[in-house]
Amino acid sequence: MSQPSPEVYERDRGMDAHNQVMREIRARNDASYEPDEPTKVWIDEDNTPDGVLDSLTIVLNTGGCRWARAGGCTMCGYVAESVEGGTVAHEDLLAQIDTALEQEREMHEGTCRQVKIYTSGSFLDEREVPAETRGAIAERFGDRDRIVVESLPDFVDREKIADFREQDLKTDVAIGLETATDRVRHDCINKYFDFADFEAACEEALAADAGVKAYLLMKPPFLSESEAIEDMISSIERCGAVDGCHTVSMNPTNVQRYTMVEQLYFDGGYRPPWLWSVVEVLSETADLDVTVVSDPVGHGSDRGPHNCGECDDRVQTAIKDFNLRQAESVFAQVECACERTWDGVRDRERSYSLPLAQ
Amino acid sequence: MTEYFEVIDRDGAARIGDLRLADSLTTPALLDDVLEEAGSLWSDEQAVPDGDESTLSVLPHRAFPAGTPAEVQAAFEPNYPDVAFPSAAVVSPETAADQGTDAYVLAGASGFTGHSAAFVEAITSTRESIPPDAGLYLPGIATPGNVATLAYIGADLFDTDRAVIRGTQGWYLTSDGEYRLDDLEELPCACEACQQRIETFDREDCVEHNVATLKAELRTVRNRIRQGRLRDYLEGQARHEQWLTATMRRLDDQYAYLEQRTPLVRKSEITAASAETLDRVEIQRFAERVTERYQCRFDTPLVLLPCSASKPYSDSQSHSQFQDAINFRAHVASMTSPIGVVPQELELTYPAQHYDSVVTGRWSATEVEFVADVLESYLEANDYPRVIAHIPEDYQAITERVEERLGETFEYTVTDHPTTDESLENLAATLAGEPKYRKRERQHNAIRAIADYQFGAGAGEAIFDDLQVESFHPKLRAKADNGEQLAAMVPEYGVLSLTLAGARRWIDSDVPTKRVEIDDFVPHGSVLAPGILDADESIRVGDEVVFEGPSALAVGRANMSGPEMAGSTRGIASDIRHVTER
Repeated sequence: MSQPSPEVYERDRGMDAHNQVMREIRARNDASYEPDEPTKVWIDEDNTPDGVLDSLTIVLNTGGCRWARAGGCTMCGYVAESVEGGTVAHEDLLAQIDTALEQEREMHEGTCRQVKIYTSGSFLDEREVPAETRGAIAERFGDRDRIVVESLPDFVDREKIADFREQDLKTDVAIGLETATDRVRHDCINKYFDFADFEAACEEALAADAGVKAYLLMKPPFLSESEAIEDMISSIERCGAVDGCHTVSMNPTNVQRYTMVEQLYFDGGYRPPWLWSVVEVLSETADLDVTVVSDPVGHGSDRGPHNCGECDDRVQTAIKDFNLRQAESVFAQVECACERTWDGVRDRERSYSLPLAQ
Repeated sequence: MTEYFEVIDRDGAARIGDLRLADSLTTPALLDDVLEEAGSLWSDEQAVPDGDESTLSVLPHRAFPAGTPAEVQAAFEPNYPDVAFPSAAVVSPETAADQGTDAYVLAGASGFTGHSAAFVEAITSTRESIPPDAGLYLPGIATPGNVATLAYIGADLFDTDRAVIRGTQGWYLTSDGEYRLDDLEELPCACEACQQRIETFDREDCVEHNVATLKAELRTVRNRIRQGRLRDYLEGQARHEQWLTATMRRLDDQYAYLEQRTPLVRKSEITAASAETLDRVEIQRFAERVTERYQCRFDTPLVLLPCSASKPYSDSQSHSQFQDAINFRAHVASMTSPIGVVPQELELTYPAQHYDSVVTGRWSATEVEFVADVLESYLEANDYPRVIAHIPEDYQAITERVEERLGETFEYTVTDHPTTDESLENLAATLAGEPKYRKRERQHNAIRAIADYQFGAGAGEAIFDDLQVESFHPKLRAKADNGEQLAAMVPEYGVLSLTLAGARRWIDSDVPTKRVEIDDFVPHGSVLAPGILDADESIRVGDEVVFEGPSALAVGRANMSGPEMAGSTRGIASDIRHVTER
């Protein structure tokens, strides 16, 4: 942004408008949260470079995403789950880890081999998670095989990653890239960084002998179904071509509370993607030299990715199967009459006529 | 500037248009085969297309779906390039403005569809913000059930997207709504796809049927617009879906929008068969002008009569019996639903002889209220020495209400039925001793009353101060004392057409003149929109209009409203009757 240009000026105007609107929308939320409780804890299986591993996922309640406080991304409601007023103390964050470990003991036999820590922000942002806390948490999980931590690319730094590598943890940084297309990331999602920043973060990770897992957003607002599909396919291709990025997690947009996407959804201007579109993208990219997984949240509901209501569970099962096997053939058996409707939508829906079908 | 679209004919807000591509397309129409899309700027940079005359190119755009905050729209609104080929810009109700394109794509229409208040607001505000001679395209929403309403509100261009998608979902669309294919036991349609047993009729057939039915419905819509009878169709057809009926009603509440687009006169008849007929602009406008512009110039008693099925009333058997009994000793006004009150001088004036209502002798509360309101205002504005009500029993609910409100007493002359000998004798007897007025008075009053109605209160005297009348009712000619003809009555519409001398008097009078300023040329036959510099906002289709320019003075009948004349770059603005160079 060193050279002021009309393009940059326009982009700034767009960003200002998005931020202003998102601040207003978020202000309607008056819920607050306890600082010593993690937002969410669950256990599932993940396809990692070491094969399928059992995996403990912790959504830490940190001060929340710095960007979201300025307004932030048009689809992201997670800031609502962060603590009011800013920073969470070292002790509280560790208390959240303890609670998560306790829950793991209750839910699971033995410790999971992988741990994933999300913060609805950046775990590597020291304003959210101070260095001291990061070190303590790395130690606490030193007995595991792998760790994944979420961060915006700005904060990815080989020295911070070293905290985990010193514990001999194989480390991945989860980066919410959303799309490889800068234009879509800026204008539709209102996420400020560029693909080049993502590439730089991958380089940092590689330098620390860590990997990167790119998180992509399937169907941001303002895109038609077919534009969203194309954007995902090209994004996965571009991510796969970046050294260090070994996995892509494609997240179909779900309508979260207190977001611009929700406002569009309420007024009839947004429909989450079809599960067939997820299937399409996974099939089209199955041959690429990058692991692609997708875990559609809220599948089958109006607010989540969905098909016709008849086939949603079956298609979701096939997608989960694909996540573990990475084989296009898992979709061969899933059929439904609504595929023809989806085909029509793909063919006919334009950004000015969306949504063409519910 | 609109180059490749032209409005040919109008019926209220609905229009017959011509999308002037290599193969011209008569609208309202489907765009599927001729639409080319340059792409969305949300997903990528897009080059301005080369375009060509066989297609309508949607220029690179950023569409704002329903619910997009205004700030975001303002920040991301793109600029549209000037291009020399048929083109369309994408707008939202918030961003709609003149972009110099031939057509406008309304983004987010699928969000408003089904919500009558938001829909009417979105479409009317968009229509008002884009040039009147540009096509309005509502993408992704047309169905056989709603397309008549969409055209009625002022949209020109549609596509088959919704009809196709609904077909793939197993919805069988008709002009009377949509059915789940599984719920049908027979195929109620004559289209090609439906010529088979329902057992073999699948969703692909349903798609084909939906598209065929949408096309057929558009043919109905176009015919109705050409006939000036789309509203009559809609009052029946829109019943099948609640939101469409609600849309029609809410649009009636947007009176200014509809009034500006509704012609002063029409050849076709109004079918008065639903409660909404009373809300039609034509009906409201007539009642408004009768109560606010008309003044009775007779000083005789008033006889209130029931309307007759045949029009004009005076040609009917019943009214000629009444006239025999009255024998020019009273002024006559007919009471009717849905028109209200029709003074005898205006019985030819649209829509007084152009409606046909459902007659059962049972009045709805709304009809009673409407006619009573009009009669009350009418009697407040006009002073009669006596009011004689020669009406059947079912009309008395109205007159009694008015008597009560005005604190007046009418004289009732009907026993049993108005045309019985006894009733007619009563009517004649009650007028015994009243002086007869003369034919010339009747003719002068007719010309002046129509002038009031057409040009404004007081126009009768202002334009026809000195007056001589020639020929016979209803083809009267109005002349000045010096023998110069000023106007002629048009029997089909009951309005006056002015000569240049009449037009000069109108210009010189205190009555507001409907004036159009034209460029430096002498019009012959018609005036085209590009020749117009400015036009009085009050001009309506069918109005007498005076054209003034550096080289010419002319008078004619408007084909467009004033705002449409001023805002259009294509189309015939008016026919010219008389012109003189100056």
